[in-house]
Amino acid sequence: MSGLPHGAAGSPVGDSGDALPSSADRQAEAVPKRGQARPVKVIRPPAFSVGTIFLGVQTLAQYSDLLWILSLFRLKVRYKQSALGWIWAALQPLALMIIYTIVFTRVTTVATGGIPYPLFVLCALLPWLFFSGSISNAVHGLVLYPNLLTKMYFPREIIPLSYVAASLADFFIGCMILAGLMGYYRVSPTWNLLYAIPIMLVISGFAAAIALLFSAVHVRFRDIGLAMPLLLQVWMFTIPVVYSLQSVPVRFRSLYLLDPIAGLIESFRAVLLLGGRPDTTSLALSAAIAFTCLVIAYAYFKSSEATMADAI
Amino acid sequence: MIDIKLDRVSKHYRLRTSSKSPKGWYAGALRNRSPSMWALRDVSFQVEQGEALGIVGHNGAGKTTILRILAGITAPTGGEVTIRGRLAALIEVGSGFHPELTGLENIDLHGAMLGMQKSEIRKKLDSIIEFSGVGQYIDMPVKRYSSGMYVRLGFSIAAHLDPDILLLDEVLAVGDAAFQSKCLECIAELRRTGRTIVFISHDLAAVYRLCSRALLFDHGCVVADGPPRQVIDQYQGLTFGSEMRPVGLAEPESPAQCMSISFLAPDSSDGVRTGYPMVARLGYCARQTIAAVVFRISFYWPSGYLCAQLATDSSRGGLNLGPGEGRIEFYCPVLAVVPGLYRVDLSIESGGQEIEARPRCATLNVGPGKFVAGDFYIENSWKLVEGTSPADESSQPSVSTPRLD
Repeated sequence: MSGLPHGAAGSPVGDSGDALPSSADRQAEAVPKRGQARPVKVIRPPAFSVGTIFLGVQTLAQYSDLLWILSLFRLKVRYKQSALGWIWAALQPLALMIIYTIVFTRVTTVATGGIPYPLFVLCALLPWLFFSGSISNAVHGLVLYPNLLTKMYFPREIIPLSYVAASLADFFIGCMILAGLMGYYRVSPTWNLLYAIPIMLVISGFAAAIALLFSAVHVRFRDIGLAMPLLLQVWMFTIPVVYSLQSVPVRFRSLYLLDPIAGLIESFRAVLLLGGRPDTTSLALSAAIAFTCLVIAYAYFKSSEATMADAI
Repeated sequence: MIDIKLDRVSKHYRLRTSSKSPKGWYAGALRNRSPSMWALRDVSFQVEQGEALGIVGHNGAGKTTILRILAGITAPTGGEVTIRGRLAALIEVGSGFHPELTGLENIDLHGAMLGMQKSEIRKKLDSIIEFSGVGQYIDMPVKRYSSGMYVRLGFSIAAHLDPDILLLDEVLAVGDAAFQSKCLECIAELRRTGRTIVFISHDLAAVYRLCSRALLFDHGCVVADGPPRQVIDQYQGLTFGSEMRPVGLAEPESPAQCMSISFLAPDSSDGVRTGYPMVARLGYCARQTIAAVVFRISFYWPSGYLCAQLATDSSRGGLNLGPGEGRIEFYCPVLAVVPGLYRVDLSIESGGQEIEARPRCATLNVGPGKFVAGDFYIENSWKLVEGTSPADESSQPSVSTPRLD
């Protein structure tokens, strides 16, 4: 028969490592021997332990290709059968920028530290839209195709994480508009601009943490998905997107900055538009909070993953 | 070498009465008293490398739960599972496909979901497309595929995963005959090269053909473990027990009824055996005079296909029965069917019209008698002829003389 799909010829030949010459061994000699490095997997009832986190990360690394492919396909699928396609990725931040500009320059005014308001708001909108977009998509990701959960196995965290990665692509498209706008207003960036990279890394980590946590809970309680738009709406006004950190009374500021995303977005705007260096202690603190959240969320996700297929 | 080992594996499901009555849900969650069930209870078995294990059982017996646990889709509530080797599970072929993506894109995606690296997929791409036979539609979104094309592409990808252990759940039910036989060939080839296969199916014939060993599940426990034929028979016994309709229950409007059926071995006390005579005795009761009557006894394979039939000769227009009871005796000099349990249907026809039908009313248990390999015993005799010359062949046509012993 033609096209028989097995690559035994290409697989490494090795000793099976069994000392006893049993009948099974003799049988194994008759067939082409396969690599001895057959992975041994032990499945036990779910338990919450540090070991599961390491094992989970290890498995995730094996499936890194899937994460990459799935993230790419999220982008492809999102704009398939839409006439404007990729332009949508740019339209959303642009439209919001225009609306907020009208509201916060005509209706009321906000201290921006001399930055033109459209630039001021777009610069914070981009990381925020990345953050909120990845979370709101990821939360629904697991339940959108229940067949994936009940009929196939792969590390489930790949689904929410792929939405985070796909939102990152939208963020980069938005950045091109931001660059154009900066050129228009003749705001020249400094080398401190490079601080935006670690800032975005921490934002991504925090987005991943929230996405993992909420998507895992959403499998069991669909309330999360229903509450998400409201929660994100409220969240946006608790952080300095449409206004600046200066507008927040000083005595509330340390409490205010406990939310890592608030400090991160303010820093992002500062390094890009003001060319200043970010406050390293507050950045480190945000990173520490985000990382802790990520570890806890991942541990929770992995312990909940074992029975996700039953709960969905 | 043991490829799969289950050690006292249990799976407990809490039957949640969804969000329809939140009150009940809260009460259940707080008091931990929501209804629950054990899908598996202390299941232990091992699968050797190169074995093809068939799992049979009723709906809800725990077959799919076992497969899901092996595949890692859900975790057991208790016990431990050890799996040695790369495992691929085909629980519903093509369920990982994204409808908006093309066939080609789905190969990438599905392959990666099954655990293949990108380089591996690229290397096997041509072979996957060729095996699936959907080559000309490969750039079309799979939402426009027929269900058969879906399955073919899905199976093709999974088969190219080159797994050490392959789990299959009712996957070959879809797809045309040609592709099904292609799949079976492929599975047989995997077996020849020492891969382990776990196969779940209601197609008992496929289990018999494909597997070297079978397990019977009932209510979450393994109740039989052995050669497929034996296990399938036991499964049939379970099934018949639950759906058998006894003979003799009257249906008043019917002019004639089957009252009893029995199978006897006239020259043996061991019961009916392959290669030996059998007598089938069918008792009837007629309410009136009926003309042109034909009695039929049908024997069905475990898989549900008609295997053989005994009928009173209808070429002379059938029998004319007077009112009252009587019986028909069929004498079979050589029972040619292989050992096993057969389902028996009875029917009475009059003038080509069925006037009485008794489906699944009895079983025929054929014990091992004369040696038989394959589907039928063929009565034969043989002799050795040495130094055959062409003249010899022509003078003696190659017909063996039947001989009864």
